[in-house]
Amino acid sequence: METRKSSEKFVVPIGPQHPALKEPGHFEFTVDGEIVTGASVRLGYVHRGIEKGAEDRTWTQNIYLLERICGICSHVHATAYVLGVEKLAGVSAPPRAQAIRTVTAELERIHSHLLWLGVAAHEGGFDTLFMYSWRDRETVMDLLELISGNRVHYSTNVLGGVKYDLDTEKMDAIRRGLDFLEERTHHYMKVVTTDETFLARTRGVGLMTREQAEALGAVGPTARASSVRRDIRIDAPYAAYPDFPVKLITDDGGDLLARFVVRLKELFESYRVIRAILDQMPEGELTTRVPRRIPAGEVISRVEAPRGELFYYIKSNGGEKPERIKVRTPSLCNWGTVVSVAVGHKLADMPMLLAGIDPCFSCNDRMVRINRGQGAQFWSWENLRQYGIEYYR
Amino acid sequence: MTNLKLDSNWQRILDKIRTWARVNSPWAIHFNSGSCNGCDIEILATLTPRYDVERFGIKLQGSPRHADVLICTGPVTLQARDRLIRIYEQMPEPKFVIAVGSCGLSGGVFHGCYNVVGSIDEVLPVNVYIPGCPPRPEAIIYGVVQLLNSLKSGVSKVGTVAELVEKQEA
Amino acid sequence: MSSQTALQTAEELLKPYAMEMIKQEEDFRLDVLLSPDQLHEAVKALHDARWGYLSAIAGVDHPAPVIGEDANASGTVQEKGKESQVEVLYVFCQGAAVLVLRLKVPYTHAELPTVCDLIPSATLYERELMEMFGVEIHGTPVKDRLLLPDEWPEGVYPLRKATIIGTTRSGSEE
Repeated sequence: METRKSSEKFVVPIGPQHPALKEPGHFEFTVDGEIVTGASVRLGYVHRGIEKGAEDRTWTQNIYLLERICGICSHVHATAYVLGVEKLAGVSAPPRAQAIRTVTAELERIHSHLLWLGVAAHEGGFDTLFMYSWRDRETVMDLLELISGNRVHYSTNVLGGVKYDLDTEKMDAIRRGLDFLEERTHHYMKVVTTDETFLARTRGVGLMTREQAEALGAVGPTARASSVRRDIRIDAPYAAYPDFPVKLITDDGGDLLARFVVRLKELFESYRVIRAILDQMPEGELTTRVPRRIPAGEVISRVEAPRGELFYYIKSNGGEKPERIKVRTPSLCNWGTVVSVAVGHKLADMPMLLAGIDPCFSCNDRMVRINRGQGAQFWSWENLRQYGIEYYR
Repeated sequence: MTNLKLDSNWQRILDKIRTWARVNSPWAIHFNSGSCNGCDIEILATLTPRYDVERFGIKLQGSPRHADVLICTGPVTLQARDRLIRIYEQMPEPKFVIAVGSCGLSGGVFHGCYNVVGSIDEVLPVNVYIPGCPPRPEAIIYGVVQLLNSLKSGVSKVGTVAELVEKQEA
Repeated sequence: MSSQTALQTAEELLKPYAMEMIKQEEDFRLDVLLSPDQLHEAVKALHDARWGYLSAIAGVDHPAPVIGEDANASGTVQEKGKESQVEVLYVFCQGAAVLVLRLKVPYTHAELPTVCDLIPSATLYERELMEMFGVEIHGTPVKDRLLLPDEWPEGVYPLRKATIIGTTRSGSEE
């Protein structure tokens, strides 16, 4: 990381960006001609101090605060939190509530993976795929809105259960939506694995061996694309996953292509699990009573977010507010992999490589400063993307 | 701005042309100053086939130097504040700011967190506020249309070239 | 049960270093109390045995109860009490098994050795710990600011209980 030469320096301050607590990053890439020789990271543009803020809010208020750590995987943050707090309180949500939590979580995974597919394709200059996948993503957004009334931040969870029930009408709507999405996902799978121009940008790029992935602490689909067998839904099932197990999806490619394939295959798995849950939806209550004061204690709650393992440490001292909440988001782990894997790659591969870990690259401006020799040159993320596309033309 | 010395009639015609061009194709830059990404993905969704704001001539693009409208999301964090101001300053006059989402309007759930300065209007002059957590894409489009309408009708004041020169001298 | 055997392996590996071990069977969880100078060796033992992966490093502040003076009277970080300490949790996971290495360091000697030479991915966690709790990590490769803004004052650690939200917030206004 510290191998940069002062005369040839490429600095990438990726601006205030992704949401989850601390994921926006500022990268500094050192380049030697076209090849990246070093990279470092600076986060904190969207650091808001949520962990401290959580200590100042009640247990119930915190659901809404923690949901807003990330707009893309908000449900999974709330799920990790409520599962942890329920464990501290010694209660567990009724089976129907757990099933609805899981349905929402999987719908969220579908929305997140489709979003990522589009953004990653966009970074590679494949805007047609971007537009198509986002068009289809509206289907799942409609389903989420149908369940919860909101397209983002569904607020499905409450302490001790869920807010919304699924009636047969809604379930049928979900099934219809999934049928459509499944058909489309087959199409995307075909595009991603057979389109030669796209393969040229993904095959063999960002190669990460299993050993590297383990040493660098990769999580989620990024790790599973390097055949690391790690998925909290399988390793330590929570919510309704013990009753409705998911299959582990891995790929031994280790490159960008494998990351595409793993995420698309996970989509099929999500469709299957949601259908299974809908077919055998447990009957019963939606909530159970949770005391206002949570008994003293501490708990570690881990769930599988769309991007990997999400870690919550919750400590209570018996009051109305938590003593400490520690959140470790999956993207934080995966940033580290980019910093290492970037070395030796072409500058033109950087947009795809960064997008490959799915750091929630929403479309905002990121300023890139290029230092080649003495004259510094400012690049926006868009410039870098264009540079990558032109390079491969 | 330049020291163009044209008589006021010419200036008025030129201003009309500028307003016409601006209203028909506003270019926007999107900046996240600490948002949770919820608003950002909804802004992005407005570009995609279902909502497709490009049919109204609205284009989201990367450089502040080409932008008329700054679409800003999220509470302003300490680290992002200077960047936000810098991006605003790089935009050419006249420029407009749209604040999107509850956090951008008031700080939202993050109000009081130690690294949060507060709402966007504590840092920049805001022309349009779009509430919601996050606002729907339709709401965002509506907000932009409100801005354009106010430009067209002259409610939202666009500085003429002469006024801008005055303002800079002040 | 593989998670059970994993826990047993961990227990045996860490026996030479542990001051105390607390096992919670039903959660597949093992808490190991360590003294700070044993941390590196304990992590090395886990690493050599390829036990699990480092999932997170969490800090927990334990300020000493303040005697007499009102804690809110000033925004200073330094506490008078002698026992003010930061507890640092190194959480390792393997499957469902969770292993927590617990270390307590006093404010006056808030120092820990790095584990980055064994686990490169720890660098981001260690930088976060340094910023948020003021625990000095010796030998960590990068010490630049990770999360806090550039103009954040030195010596103010936001996640320590004594740091009051309001003071830092109003201090930031121009």
